[in-house]
Amino acid sequence: MGLLLLVVIVLLALLFFVVLFVIGAYNKLVTLRNRFKNAFAQIDVQLKRRYDLIPNLVETAKGYIKHERGTLEAVISARNVASAASVRAAQNPGDATAMKELGGAETALTGMLGRLFAVAEAYPDLKANQTMMQLMEELTSTENKISFARQAYNDSVMIFNTQREVFPTNLIAGMFNFGSAELFVIEKPEQKEAPKVAF
Amino acid sequence: MDFFERQGKARRDTKLLVFYFALAVALIVLAIYFVVDLALFGGSLKHHHYGYDAAPVLSLWNPQLFLWVALGTLAVVGVGSISKMSELSQGGGAVATMLGGQPVNPNTTDPDERKLLNVVEEMAIASGTPVPQVYLLPDESINAFAAGHTTSDAVIGVTRGCMKLLTRDELQGVIGHEFSHILNGDMRLNIRLIGFIFGIMGLAIVGRILLQMRGRGSRDRNPLPLLGLALLLIGWIGVFFGHLIQSAVSRQREFLADASSVQFTRNPEGLAGALKKIGGLSYGSRLESPHADVASHMFFANGMAESLFNLMATHPPLEDRIRAIDPNWDGKFAEAMSAEIRLPGKYAPRVEQQRRPPIFVGVPMPQPVAAGFAPPVIRPETILPGLGSPVTAHLRYAADWRASLPASVEAAAREPLGASALVYAMLLSADDAVRKSQLEKLSNGVSPGVCEETRRLLPAVTTVAARAKLPLADLALPGLRNLSPRQFTQFTEAIKVLIEADNEIDLFEYVLQKIVVRHLEPRFTGARKPVIQYYSAKPLLLDCAVLLSAVAQVGQQEARQVAAAFHLGWQQLRMPTAEPQVLPPAECGLEKVDAALGRLGQAVPQIKKNVLGACASAVAADGVIKEAEAELLRAIADTLDCPIPPFVEGV
Repeated sequence: MGLLLLVVIVLLALLFFVVLFVIGAYNKLVTLRNRFKNAFAQIDVQLKRRYDLIPNLVETAKGYIKHERGTLEAVISARNVASAASVRAAQNPGDATAMKELGGAETALTGMLGRLFAVAEAYPDLKANQTMMQLMEELTSTENKISFARQAYNDSVMIFNTQREVFPTNLIAGMFNFGSAELFVIEKPEQKEAPKVAF
Repeated sequence: MDFFERQGKARRDTKLLVFYFALAVALIVLAIYFVVDLALFGGSLKHHHYGYDAAPVLSLWNPQLFLWVALGTLAVVGVGSISKMSELSQGGGAVATMLGGQPVNPNTTDPDERKLLNVVEEMAIASGTPVPQVYLLPDESINAFAAGHTTSDAVIGVTRGCMKLLTRDELQGVIGHEFSHILNGDMRLNIRLIGFIFGIMGLAIVGRILLQMRGRGSRDRNPLPLLGLALLLIGWIGVFFGHLIQSAVSRQREFLADASSVQFTRNPEGLAGALKKIGGLSYGSRLESPHADVASHMFFANGMAESLFNLMATHPPLEDRIRAIDPNWDGKFAEAMSAEIRLPGKYAPRVEQQRRPPIFVGVPMPQPVAAGFAPPVIRPETILPGLGSPVTAHLRYAADWRASLPASVEAAAREPLGASALVYAMLLSADDAVRKSQLEKLSNGVSPGVCEETRRLLPAVTTVAARAKLPLADLALPGLRNLSPRQFTQFTEAIKVLIEADNEIDLFEYVLQKIVVRHLEPRFTGARKPVIQYYSAKPLLLDCAVLLSAVAQVGQQEARQVAAAFHLGWQQLRMPTAEPQVLPPAECGLEKVDAALGRLGQAVPQIKKNVLGACASAVAADGVIKEAEAELLRAIADTLDCPIPPFVEGV
């Protein structure tokens, strides 16, 4: 009887520690997932600011740039696409399709804005306009903030993904369906376009 | 009871708590043992084959059964308590997440959230604590809590109903109540309590699960659902004990916290209004989260529904609380409706511009902090009692301070890039050559966007008066908490580089670095558990000498005055040994002060009180608190975990 009791006690103790480990690993994964979701919320605030600034920018530019309607409209539509993508991504941060979509839309928007600024170079009155200067400064500041927040988000995602793949925790991740999170990548548009030669 | 006595009491209460817990577990083991014994007896009665087996006997003492029951119970309680305590060891945020809370973005544009954050910021600045992270619980009822191990990892949680249904004054009353829990040292006790209670109530959860399991063997032989029912009943015994412990610990404190809140805001209608609205709301202060039960001692108002199993109320009755604040109450509860009028448009201007009339008639309003102004005349005997007990003057000061901050600075403090840039800007030297080299070194360590933002903020930051800069560090903390671990490492490196650029550490730089890094530690390198290592002041003799000498040197120029200030301060320490000589400046430089503070931070509250009293006396030796003295005093108080309100004249 004594031996049986001893064996059962040892088994119980083992079970005790296994249960503790499972709870601990699960909680860690949940915490890391909440961290990257929160990090995305930081990006989201700045993206919204950007999407709010752009229509003002286009309105101000409209008064000066009379013949480049196509560019202005392209900017607005790229902004709308990106805004919709950001709403979807905010509902499901880290989801692969949503993040890739947002990354693509943001890249396109940055490209369009670049084109708009290139066009605006030809209008010195526009460049000297106070509102325009203020808006552009705020836009630059917002873009800095987006890139900073993006770094933080990608860091959190990497930490989560690593924890998810490391040996003992990956068993728990599999058991409770912790999907891997997607990084938020915005490519530099200049890298994608072939160099233009203008005469 | 002053701040230090309250801390001491909270520590003693924790020991009492452990005793109650052990007692409760012992009683539960006994109860389960008896129930299982009876159940088995009942089972053996049922299966007794008359004539074939010996007559079943109910034996009251069965050592083997007792052992099994004790082991099983201890295992379940142990797993529950240990896992919950390790989950909560991460700090207040873990409690908030457990209850279903979402962190409120410091950068939010939602006007209700903005109002909430502004109220919390003002209270934090007024009490001298870092601005805590705010969490929003999804419930439509009105309730709030504060959780954490120290002020560095404290969080405030508020329900959506609380945010939307209360006016600004009422919200201030509720948040003031929560801040008093933070300042009283209640938070640590509360977190520990949750861990214990979760273990005890775990039996009810196991019982519920077993009850739902259908046995795989034949029905009439299966003891599982019966055992499940038994465990559920026993679990309710555990719940009973859990509630008993909770109510023993928390009931009296609620009245005290209400009183502190009224003292803080000097606006009894605010808090009373909130309580009346809870009374008038059909779901009152009830919380939906299944974990609300284990944490119910922490909430502002009762979070559980009225039921047979909630006989032990963790809070005094609503009516009693209202009458304690508002003796002329007519007994009618208020109807809660969305109180503020929403402003149209996405760019709603800040609603927080109203200035109240000055409370001190005849005494001039404090000067706007953007302009420089003369250091206030503070009486030393007001410093210690004021610690941890901010009053309305501090709240007014905090609101004015915030209103006078340049808009770009305030906006920057709220998000990670801007907050880092703000701290860098505060560390940039006034000397042009040094500043140039600092900016160069900065651009090597951090991304260009940050440098750009730092340059952009520099003109605004230089207009903020020197004494107003340290509260700015507290304000920037929520933004800094959103840095990633890698960015935080870059941030601390960059701060070091900026400080060492002129090859000397001045007092302001030391204080800023200390405050910022110390309060971000829980978020990035694990929550700090306060450890007491020094119960007597004797081993700390040299550290006290170093600290007091530094304080005396900072405020006085002549050796004679330094010695006089040192002597005045040493009296307060009540050391049994002879008074040493004041140390020369070389012996009490900032690194030595830092080391001394590290050790003094691990002393019992009474020693800390004496040390702070000594420093305050040394500072007040010449009757005036200078800029440098105020900074040093603030750093000392902060490192010793004693929140010191801003120095306001006339208090």
